[in-house]
Amino acid sequence: METRPVINPIPPVRLYRINAGSCNGCDVELAATAAVASFDVERLGCCYSESPAEADIVLITGPLTLRVKDKVLRLHGEVPKPKVTVAVGVCPISGGVFRDSYAVAGPADDYLPVDVNVPGCPPHPRAILAGIAKAAALWRELSGCGQTLPEPAVPGSYDEDAAAPLGLRGKMRFNAAACVGCRMCEHVCAGGAIRIDELGPGLRFTLWHNSCVFCGLCSHYCPTKALTVTDQWQLSHFQEDKFSLTEQGFIPFVACTGCGHIMLPATPELLRVSYRKTNPEIERLKTLCPECRQKQSLGGIRR
Amino acid sequence: MIDFKEKVSETLSLRTGAEVTIEWRINIKGVMTGWCRLREAALILPAAEAVAGLEGRLSMITAYLSDSAKQKGVREIAFHFDLDGTTLTLGIELPLEGARIPSLTPLFRNADWHEREFMELYDIQVIGHPAPRRLFLDRSIDPAAFERLIPYSTFSNGANSKALWEKVMARSGNNRKELQ
Amino acid sequence: MSGTVITLGPQQLALEEPMYFSVEVDGEIVVGLDVLAGHVHRGMEHLVMKRNFYQNITLLERLCSLCSNSHPSTFCTAVEELAGIRIPARAEYLRAIADEIKRISSHLFNCAIIAHIIGQGTLFKRVMEVREIMQDTKESIYGNRMDLAANCIGGVRYDLTPESAVYLGKQMERIKGPLEELYRIYATDHAIRTRTEGLGVLPNRDAINYAVVGPVARASGIDYDVRRKSPYWAYDRLRFQVAVEQAGDVRARAMVRLREAREAVSLIEQCLVDLPPGPLCSDTLPEIPAGETIAKSEAPRGELIYYLNTDGTDMPVRLKWRVPSYMNWDALQVMLKGQRVADIPLIVNSIDPCISCTDR
Ligand code: SF4
Ligand code: SF4
Repeated sequence: METRPVINPIPPVRLYRINAGSCNGCDVELAATAAVASFDVERLGCCYSESPAEADIVLITGPLTLRVKDKVLRLHGEVPKPKVTVAVGVCPISGGVFRDSYAVAGPADDYLPVDVNVPGCPPHPRAILAGIAKAAALWRELSGCGQTLPEPAVPGSYDEDAAAPLGLRGKMRFNAAACVGCRMCEHVCAGGAIRIDELGPGLRFTLWHNSCVFCGLCSHYCPTKALTVTDQWQLSHFQEDKFSLTEQGFIPFVACTGCGHIMLPATPELLRVSYRKTNPEIERLKTLCPECRQKQSLGGIRR
Repeated sequence: MIDFKEKVSETLSLRTGAEVTIEWRINIKGVMTGWCRLREAALILPAAEAVAGLEGRLSMITAYLSDSAKQKGVREIAFHFDLDGTTLTLGIELPLEGARIPSLTPLFRNADWHEREFMELYDIQVIGHPAPRRLFLDRSIDPAAFERLIPYSTFSNGANSKALWEKVMARSGNNRKELQ
Repeated sequence: MSGTVITLGPQQLALEEPMYFSVEVDGEIVVGLDVLAGHVHRGMEHLVMKRNFYQNITLLERLCSLCSNSHPSTFCTAVEELAGIRIPARAEYLRAIADEIKRISSHLFNCAIIAHIIGQGTLFKRVMEVREIMQDTKESIYGNRMDLAANCIGGVRYDLTPESAVYLGKQMERIKGPLEELYRIYATDHAIRTRTEGLGVLPNRDAINYAVVGPVARASGIDYDVRRKSPYWAYDRLRFQVAVEQAGDVRARAMVRLREAREAVSLIEQCLVDLPPGPLCSDTLPEIPAGETIAKSEAPRGELIYYLNTDGTDMPVRLKWRVPSYMNWDALQVMLKGQRVADIPLIVNSIDPCISCTDR
């Protein structure tokens, strides 16, 4: 029988946590990565450190309030170089729901260099682990330690292709063909994650996942369910991709077959919601603008 | 129930030396709340004494400044007391400029934080507070934060969002394939 | 008496969140205390006035992750009260279920921290593993381990299908044994008793004076629970005991929480049995008239109160809330006076303080 050394020869990568004014959601999940066996950071060859001077990776949570800003910057400065910084949760990445408050200084990367972002609110511990794994790999590269990650003890515990936990609220998906441009999603979104712009021949929908808190309220109030919640939760990414992590769609205007006026198309989803079933008459009406539709319907009434 | 309601308004009237009328509302669960506007702001002290005499507990203090009040040149404070499950709210009006009220901290020691908090958020002076220091706000934030910031200044409203969205829009449409 | 003043931060206090204390000590003994708050102040009461009612549901859920459901649900109750909406019976039960699930998780987290501070590493991990039963439950039913997104104005936006109701029932069966076991350990384990009994006492009279709420109040003999005193949602139809202890020490507060966790399991089970059929939410988007109202609930840390003032638009004129922790900090003056400096973390955590709630 082959015997293996019990002790891992690679020194662990040391993690230091900084709470920059969070709701404590991300912090409680970080506590889970220290205490709960199935999310243990030790599997990644990492361990938590109580002292910034003895750390390699900084994990920041919270939107960076004015009150903690200087303390955070000081602690971050105490971590020796080369260091890798991870923004955990949408708060440090974009301010999340707290953006534009008089008491919030963030996003964090306005003040310190961030390397890896883990969107989510709070992110799943496995998503946090995936972000830490990216950061640890980067740190090993920068520090010239060269070693690669140990194989995960439980397959799929942090890899990107792991199946989503049951029923998880992951990132939102947008189906432009079902959108009626009512803008209800934009209206209800607390994260300010949705923008709808009128752009020449139509409406452009943009959802920025780094601002989204995965609450699903947009989907709940969307009359045609053009927005749906997916179970995709592995969204950790390097800083260079921060601003391109979006969901986009374009809803082209069409011309009314009656008067030629430019209008938003009536989508099949809307017709299904309003009429349940479609018929040739409805199919014809849907190519008309509301005004022509009214005229047609009135004209259609025979006495 | 009738006795309780009468007892509360009688005690309040007696202490404040003014006829105090309370509007009682009962919700679908049978939970009662009392609502009362005091004629003068100075009456809050005797009224609070009356509540203390009824073994009430100070639950919360809400200072607020609505547009309609501002137009009338006033501001408001609502004092919420708990009377064993029934919340009694006593409202007062104060002048917009130079608002002063007596501290309730000597009567209800938990008024301490509430008073310090609304002193830093609104332009209200509390007379007789044992230690009127800041509670939550960073030194860098100007006093009466809610009053300076509510008229939307460019300083804190949307400036950050705008900058971030510009970066998002500059990047979207380009190298998004691999992130899909 | 010459007191030295020392400042303690989150690391020394064993807190997950940034809170600082300025403690006056005489040798090893605490003689005075000042709480330095505000590090997690995010200006939320200001933000809610710039957001509409819908956005505020999600925003308020981010006030604090440990009692995250209490905020949107109590806020929605206030809006409904103003708009004269009666939420469907099924929603009343589903709201109670969501709150009780959160209560178990929250109480277990505190219970774990207490073990950690006492130096019981194995027990700490054990409690965190037991808590995972609730984390899994939240994730499977609501889609997130912390923030449930269960509420909307007029009711709830999640349902229990026959299958998920069975699953929830099974999870309750699974956690009963461990909860009994933890109760027994905290009640009888010699090492825990020695560290917690008689420590950080808040006598009944002081508890009344300082107007503390929740488990801190109930551990000092105050028989007050909003679910009983001012019922809401389904609580007027559910049977439960209000957990009251008399000793007022660290141990009594832990015992109250563990008893409440067991009681919460029973409440969830009753809800599952009684769950009426029907809609989840009133189906029209309501107009919110001008007016003012109060809504209250019993959050894991105690009485939570919301005041809402509206002018007929879809943004609040004022939305103010007072969290339970807000009432409990000051009582630390009594609990810490004359205690050893080394016991500060344990006593502070025995009030299960929530900083993000306090600072807003
Ligand atoms: S990202 Fe969400 S969960 Fe994390 S600290 Fe911010 S609000 Fe809380
Ligand atoms: S899920 Fe929808 S409503 Fe919620 S934050 Fe994301 S985009 Fe906004």
